[in-house]
Amino acid sequence: MPHYAKSEEWLRESQLLLEARPTTTRITTKYSIKTPKLRKSKTADDAPATETAAAPKPARGFLTLKTYDPASGVTLKYRTSKAAEVSRLIMCLGKLSRPMAGLPEQKDEAMADAPAEEGTPAAEKSEAAATATTAAPAAQQAPATGGGKGKKKKGKK
Amino acid sequence: MGHLSNDEFFTKLVELFDSRKGKDHGHIFLTQKRLSYDQPPLPEPTSDTILPDLHPPRPLPVLIRATNGKGKENRAKKIKLSTVVDPDALPAFFERYADVCKAGMTTLKPRDRSKRKMKGKKKKATTGGIGA
Repeated sequence: MPHYAKSEEWLRESQLLLEARPTTTRITTKYSIKTPKLRKSKTADDAPATETAAAPKPARGFLTLKTYDPASGVTLKYRTSKAAEVSRLIMCLGKLSRPMAGLPEQKDEAMADAPAEEGTPAAEKSEAAATATTAAPAAQQAPATGGGKGKKKKGKK
Repeated sequence: MGHLSNDEFFTKLVELFDSRKGKDHGHIFLTQKRLSYDQPPLPEPTSDTILPDLHPPRPLPVLIRATNGKGKENRAKKIKLSTVVDPDALPAFFERYADVCKAGMTTLKPRDRSKRKMKGKKKKATTGGIGA
């Protein structure tokens, strides 16, 4: 029962499994919420009561993707706890639903999208940086003659 | 329970996710598989196609299930949802599905934006300590 560290690997292997056994393979997405385990303190008497009351730790969730084929017993798993991955993983499920439905594989649109998505934040960042550098001297004109140099000196002291 | 329409399924799924919001434990299971019951029979296997299900003559619908995983003594509290998605509707369905899941899975770790700030603070703290 392999656990994959990367969702891409899980996606590839699942795709192969689905192509081999499209009728029996199923994909289960498990969303679990668990209370974080509390460390047992050495004063055992009133520890559980006070800790649960004093620890407002938010419940942790995680997502487990499992591809399972009951006919051959193959199980492929991937687990994550990052919210940022959810929509991408569901789109992976959408991709995997194509061999499930018996549709031909679609050309990879996600890969074409990815660089574009990466490009825009970078451009915004550089723009933001540019505006910051232009704005900074105006704001800090009184103390420093050269914005960059002044900062460095401060750090060294 | 019969299958819901896709729209009903989504409204119920939102309710299912909402029922877990603010709770500190629990599971939601989402399953998808090919719908193979009540379908026109596949052609008989021949020497060319030993497994006729690999290349069905027409695309088959996909069955989507959602449950809160309650069973046994909690069976009364069990919520079971299922819907059938036609092959043409798959892309649109999964787009909506992604939105619902993203909105519903609130306990996952948000993207960590505080790292850079923390690093800066630490550096300042250490240099300050040395200076003093």
